[in-house]
Amino acid sequence: MDDEGPNGNHGFDGGRSRFPRRVYAVGNEPDPRFSLANERTFLAWLRTSLALVAAGVALEALGFPQSAGFRGAAAIVFIALGLAAAVRAWFGWMATESALRRESLLPAPSLGLLLVIGMVIGVLLVALGSIP
Amino acid sequence: MTAPFDPGLQVERTSLAWTRTALALALAGAVVTRLTFDRLGVVAVTLGLVAVGSAVATATLAGVRYRRATVSLGQSGTLPTDGAVLALASASALAAGVAAAVFVMWGMLDA
Repeated sequence: MDDEGPNGNHGFDGGRSRFPRRVYAVGNEPDPRFSLANERTFLAWLRTSLALVAAGVALEALGFPQSAGFRGAAAIVFIALGLAAAVRAWFGWMATESALRRESLLPAPSLGLLLVIGMVIGVLLVALGSIP
Repeated sequence: MTAPFDPGLQVERTSLAWTRTALALALAGAVVTRLTFDRLGVVAVTLGLVAVGSAVATATLAGVRYRRATVSLGQSGTLPTDGAVLALASASALAAGVAAAVFVMWGMLDA
């Protein structure tokens, strides 16, 4: 791998035709199993996103809790977290794939703490809105 | 029938992950269509068809991806796939989230 120049071999087609170029233009082909694991992590984040959005929609559709202010606030919190998770899915996949190709350290699992805090706030809003 | 690329069945597991994600995307599209139908009517149905169509496209492209990966890994040991289908799936999830936000905003305006 050391005789492939400073930017590596770019993969078998020079990284030209693979999207996004920002990822595939640098580094070497990683172990396929690592790329596949990165892809499944991306898909898991996407499903997390859909579940969070579904939680927000369900609150509004079921009219729960009864207090409209708390219900709307909780629903917005869950949907905002869902949107953030979808964005993270894509950019996290790019960052990890780049790191795998450059053989550098993997990025931190960003958004984990925000997700936990946001979900606690969302559940608290539901609980507060349920007080008769 | 040749032996799979690796004993951990990574390609197969990834393919199954795509299938259930596409299923969730299709479901999200159908639910959002139903919830916005009263306000948007034909527009909701049109957007819903686009959403479900995008989920079907994701599942189909993921199937093509699985076949390409299996062939290429068997022949050269390299993974030929890229991030195009991932971008499509991300955009679909984002669109579902935005539609859900609009639905909730309506509810707040009505209250």
